[in-house]
Amino acid sequence: MDAFIADLDDLGKLIKIGRCKYNVYAPIRKGGSYVFSKVEDIHNIDLRYNRTILPPTKLFHRPRETLLRFKLNDGFEFDEVLEVESMMIFGVHACDLNAILRLDRFFTRRFEDPYYLARRRNSVVVALNCNGPRDEYCFCASLGTGPTIDEGYDILLTEVEGGRFLVEVGSKIGFDLISEAGFMRASSNYIEAKRTMASTARRGFRRYADFRGLSYPVIEVLAHSVWDEEAGRCLSCGNCSLVCPTCYCYEISDVVDMDLKNGFRVRRLDSCQLYGYAEVALGGNFRRSRKARLRHWMVCKFGGAAGGELSSCVGCGRCIFYCPAKIDITSISSRLREAV
Amino acid sequence: MNPYIPVKARVVSVRTETTDVKTFRFKLIEGRLKFEAGQFVEVSVFGVGEAPISISSDPDIDDYFELSVRRVGNVTGSLFKLNEGAIVGIRGPYGRGWPIRESEGMDVLVVGGGCGAAPLRPAILKLLRNRNRYGRLEILYGARTPYDIMYRGEFEKVAEGNDCRVLLTVDTIPPNSEWRYSVGVVTRLFDKISVDPRRSVAFICGPEVMMMYAVRDLIRLGFKPENIYLSMERRMRCGLGFCGHCQIGRKYVCLDGPVFSYSEIAPMPDKIV
Repeated sequence: MDAFIADLDDLGKLIKIGRCKYNVYAPIRKGGSYVFSKVEDIHNIDLRYNRTILPPTKLFHRPRETLLRFKLNDGFEFDEVLEVESMMIFGVHACDLNAILRLDRFFTRRFEDPYYLARRRNSVVVALNCNGPRDEYCFCASLGTGPTIDEGYDILLTEVEGGRFLVEVGSKIGFDLISEAGFMRASSNYIEAKRTMASTARRGFRRYADFRGLSYPVIEVLAHSVWDEEAGRCLSCGNCSLVCPTCYCYEISDVVDMDLKNGFRVRRLDSCQLYGYAEVALGGNFRRSRKARLRHWMVCKFGGAAGGELSSCVGCGRCIFYCPAKIDITSISSRLREAV
Repeated sequence: MNPYIPVKARVVSVRTETTDVKTFRFKLIEGRLKFEAGQFVEVSVFGVGEAPISISSDPDIDDYFELSVRRVGNVTGSLFKLNEGAIVGIRGPYGRGWPIRESEGMDVLVVGGGCGAAPLRPAILKLLRNRNRYGRLEILYGARTPYDIMYRGEFEKVAEGNDCRVLLTVDTIPPNSEWRYSVGVVTRLFDKISVDPRRSVAFICGPEVMMMYAVRDLIRLGFKPENIYLSMERRMRCGLGFCGHCQIGRKYVCLDGPVFSYSEIAPMPDKIV
């Protein structure tokens, strides 16, 4: 294993090197929250962030993007529009990296999604291990999706002392970047310090979730009274799915220019929490009730929808934090667990 | 290969089936569309959008393909205005069709309702072409009124032969119209069937409420749930297993279906059948 040691200045150097080839995105404070945004000034990066509003998966799977462009002349013509962007995404937590790894598999199943891959395959991920829960909303430890990660990164940072990071390399691209930055090799006591940190980081979590037994549509889950109770509070706003790192559902529509001659086919993130999501012809709708929609979303996060494990929860805590009705997947799942 | 990019197809002919259903025959500008009975395509009318439509023509003919379209929304409304020579975009074919091969040696009962006849037609044509590989073959088809019966001429022609029994029914007969077949919902025809439920498969497509009653009655008659096949309607936006709209529980209708055995789909939530 290639391991190096770096302080904050060294990381600044790594970002500078990254900026020659990539648009560098990192957690930056905005208002009272954090966002992965393009780094203009490295001093704005806050590696002590709890979580960003939108997960980094949405840098690959864009909330809105153009799929193709068309001309509405005689017959019509169309061209692919592929927005490629090479990104270095800096400071990705284990939960969010696990979500990226799931979407990598999701978007390369029977078919490949060229739009997701155009960005994913041209990007590097600099992951950041957490030394414990970032706040009371985190529950990755109970799902095995954090707080540390061992795979899927190009570069992995672990803060082993205040302001001092163990830098591990997970890919050729990652190795080249680190070589260019000329980081010092880590001595064995730093590697040992990281091991100790990784083994103790799981302690201290106060929020837990256990989805075992909830991922298959069994009657005990589907017919449970918890759905009626929680759906009574749900506003069907779609926040949960918007901020969820493994939510990818989208709607496709055509947008025509004012001249009625040119247009675009675009896709936008959609949400199963919205009424129109399960609509079919003639106003048919298979999830007309809020209860059915909330249940669908949450069972999806248990791994029980068509995306299976690939759309399931990674324990980032966003949906709980951003739910205006404070609907909590961890408390619902524990009530359901009592029934199965 | 970008799976979102359609290929162009030209309308070569248009037939009016009923008051709100037309059958369009298309030819791809380049290449041929090979498909299986029960599969669907995504049809683009640029500037309006894309819609999933079942292929309704003979799967052994790849020179052209046909889509029977009911006018229900934006895309189908625009398709309805198209004449010979018009160009549309096509992606696909997508999905898993009817178990034609797997059903060899069995009796086959086909049950259709309304424009559910469209995805059944390629299966019927295929079964008739290989008629000697199957036991008894019966087709039950119902629509709202005599004016809503699709492929009526073809059904009547098939019924004239000895290969296949065809029973037609309508819910109501409007005043001053003629109808020499049955009246009542399609499941009322189950009293008249002669296939052997224990060694039969059923291919069903129609409104989901109709399919629910059909499944219930067929199981009562002794059909095995795993031998009852349904073509499910959901809004398959992408056809690629990504966009999420067609999910029924753990199934993607666009990838795992649209044809499912009842035993596969029965445990899933958010459906009527």
